[in-house]
Amino acid sequence: MIRLVNVNKYFYRGDPREVHALKDVNLSIQSGEFTVITGPSGCGKTTLLNAIGVLDNVSEGEIWLEDREIAHLPATQKTDIRLNSIGFVFQAYNLVPVLTVEENIGFIMRLQGYSDEAIRIRVREVASILQIDQKLDSLPNFLSGGQQQRVAVARAVASKPKIILADEPTANLDSKNSTALMEMMKELNRKEGITILFSSHDEYVMKNARRTILLNDGAVVSS
Amino acid sequence: MFSLALKNIFFYKGRSLTTFLLTFVSVFLFIVYVAFMDGAHRSMLKNALDVYTGSLQIYHKEYREKGGYDYLIDDVSKPLGILARTKGLKAYASRLETYGIASSKKHSSAIMLTGVDFDKEAQLSELKKALKKGTYNSKGACVYMGETLAKRLHTDIGEKISFVGSAVDYSFVAELFDVCGIFKTGMYDFDSQSAFMNRRYFDSIFLSEGMATYIVAMADSLGENDKIAAHIADRLPPQLELYTWKTLMHSMVELMKMDSFFGYISMGLFFMVIFFVIMIYGFINVNARMKEFGVLRAIGVSDARVSALLFTEILLLTLAAMALAVPLGAYVAYYFQVHPIIIAGMSDMYKSYGVVSDRVPTLFDPVIIAWNSALVFGLNMLSILYPIRYVRSFTPVEEIHHV
Repeated sequence: MIRLVNVNKYFYRGDPREVHALKDVNLSIQSGEFTVITGPSGCGKTTLLNAIGVLDNVSEGEIWLEDREIAHLPATQKTDIRLNSIGFVFQAYNLVPVLTVEENIGFIMRLQGYSDEAIRIRVREVASILQIDQKLDSLPNFLSGGQQQRVAVARAVASKPKIILADEPTANLDSKNSTALMEMMKELNRKEGITILFSSHDEYVMKNARRTILLNDGAVVSS
Repeated sequence: MFSLALKNIFFYKGRSLTTFLLTFVSVFLFIVYVAFMDGAHRSMLKNALDVYTGSLQIYHKEYREKGGYDYLIDDVSKPLGILARTKGLKAYASRLETYGIASSKKHSSAIMLTGVDFDKEAQLSELKKALKKGTYNSKGACVYMGETLAKRLHTDIGEKISFVGSAVDYSFVAELFDVCGIFKTGMYDFDSQSAFMNRRYFDSIFLSEGMATYIVAMADSLGENDKIAAHIADRLPPQLELYTWKTLMHSMVELMKMDSFFGYISMGLFFMVIFFVIMIYGFINVNARMKEFGVLRAIGVSDARVSALLFTEILLLTLAAMALAVPLGAYVAYYFQVHPIIIAGMSDMYKSYGVVSDRVPTLFDPVIIAWNSALVFGLNMLSILYPIRYVRSFTPVEEIHHV
């Protein structure tokens, strides 16, 4: 489903501050996988996720989503891919502060042009799975960290993307909330068949992942 | 995006309030300022034209360049007939001017003596309203003279003055006239040199029956004057030519243009300040929301939609401010048009332009108000361009990590 071929990423290339963040990364991730990318801080986990999610440009190499090379598409087509094929969960939740939980979860579906009724049904379905159906009218600022992260997962899941990229989703959660979130995401992976790719160095996350990709200094050490 | 824009407006209250208030103040002040400026100009002009000049004049060709009796209109019946058939004129009349020396017992002065139809002048000019002493519509050998001229000659109502000049056939004219009326328009040159006489008696002395130095007319509306002038000019005999107030009052028109120019420069500077303050506030707001834009773009909101979001926010704020400022500004402009401001201190300055009245009405003109508002609207829309460009200069990842 996702294939990375000789992907390299440099920051400040040609500058004394140059950082070679990803080094000849070759990787394949199959549909329906529940995979974690791990490694020490600064090893390139987030950079790799950003590259796969076409949030950031790569310096060299190719990234294939199904049968389409996506790393070198124009910005508008990358936006379309992010909208229609990829769901994102960020470490800091990153919900839209002025929208209610219900509006945040349905936001991507609204951009995709779904009807109000279809959005309402799907939002309630996902909110129920993630146990935030009692908070639909609340604004994000009135939720706990765990609840906000569940809303972020619900937003990513609601539009049924092909893949969810989650960047350290449990980093700001306590162990109880981390465990609950992981269980819910496993449930989504099983029920909805969504491919889920995490970056994390949380022991619990790694233990629950079906596949672990170890990065060190920008290179894949084991997968 | 509309709903999100609306929510952002209420969420980011500081920026919204600042933009709203600055836009409100700009639109309101602009409408009122321009209404006062245009109103003052219109008032100055109208007063000056009403006093004596009229809104258009017809001359024999070359009179204005060379002058003298050789270029008089020798048959006024045809141009007067054209004016009689022209719609939109309040009044019209012919005038014949001659120059000579007027003397009282001890003093003399050069004067311009004009033969007029006093009844028609009462509708056409402010001569009748300017009466200070004596009678206006005098018959026979009576003159109606400016107050400053009367003072210069040390004469008064009931006294006699002599006049020495020439008739239109260049024969010598020497006559005694009674001073029957004294006027004051406030225009120094006019009041110190002009005297008027009943046209019938004037023609009998100066042999000018059926002739005129020029024909003067006043349009019902100055706005229609050019159209009426063109209509008349097309029908005039080839030896005659027509001038509108724009040529007749050229220096005054230039002065008003200059005044308007500096007025707009002042307002332009004011608007530049407002524009940059709105833009800076917009920029600060956008800068504080960079992470939000990064997230929106990361989850699939296109650059065009982010731009539309920011445009919608400034559009709603601008329209809300204008919805209050335009009616209020228009009301103030209308109110002071109906109830002009009386600024006694300004009357002396205005008198040099012939303004007898010290009332300064505003000019309520919906078209001017519309373009004033449109200008502020346009500036507000432009003020968001740089913040939009700034947002679009980053990748979503850079925005998410923006500090």
